[in-house]
Amino acid sequence: MNVDAAIQALVDAGVEFVIIGGWSAILHGSRYGTSALDICYARNSENSRRLVRALAPYHPRLRGLPKGLPFIWAQATLRDGTIIRLDTDLGKIDLLAEVAGLGTFDEMTAGSIVTEAFGRQVRTLDLKSLIKAKRAAGRDKDLMVLPELESLLEAEEP
Amino acid sequence: MRALTPEELARAEDRLRNPAPGSRIEAAKKFGIDLTLLIGQLRLTPAERARQMHEVCQIAERVRGAARKRKP
Repeated sequence: MNVDAAIQALVDAGVEFVIIGGWSAILHGSRYGTSALDICYARNSENSRRLVRALAPYHPRLRGLPKGLPFIWAQATLRDGTIIRLDTDLGKIDLLAEVAGLGTFDEMTAGSIVTEAFGRQVRTLDLKSLIKAKRAAGRDKDLMVLPELESLLEAEEP
Repeated sequence: MRALTPEELARAEDRLRNPAPGSRIEAAKKFGIDLTLLIGQLRLTPAERARQMHEVCQIAERVRGAARKRKP
């Protein structure tokens, strides 16, 4: 996963997004690795256009789509679902229009923070929101990281 | 998000090294989390944490690639 290049492409294209999931946990100090970059993006027409343009050079395809089946990367692709899981030349990128427990991009910006990382200023979930999202997702891999995140939260409390 | 101040880091380290009874940190320790690794992470900036994991991912990718090539 070339996460630096992926983040830089998104930021430089002016895409409005929040880093969620494993990479958000890593920014907060988690030691768990992750295979995909998960982002929640603003689902308006202009932002969708920017997102499509930003990722187009990296040949996105729906993950799991059999080889040979045609796939067109376009704004219409984003309209087809709230979670789009992509394989790209940069690695796996998951695009979410909504996050369980937190809502849409607009609803989650209050629970997010801006930080310097990946060579850019990026927005990611704050630790409390990340814990809430992980708990709401409820998969084994989400629940497994909770003790670590809750420890970080408790350690950093004033 | 920013790096912790020296005072914040000292407080966080103390909590992680000496978990209060009944705390979430104590529960994590019992769960099997290596809290010393978290101390190391807290000493880094978010950018440094990301860079470190990015490098780990790159190495893992190279190892996977080499393993694929060696498959008969």
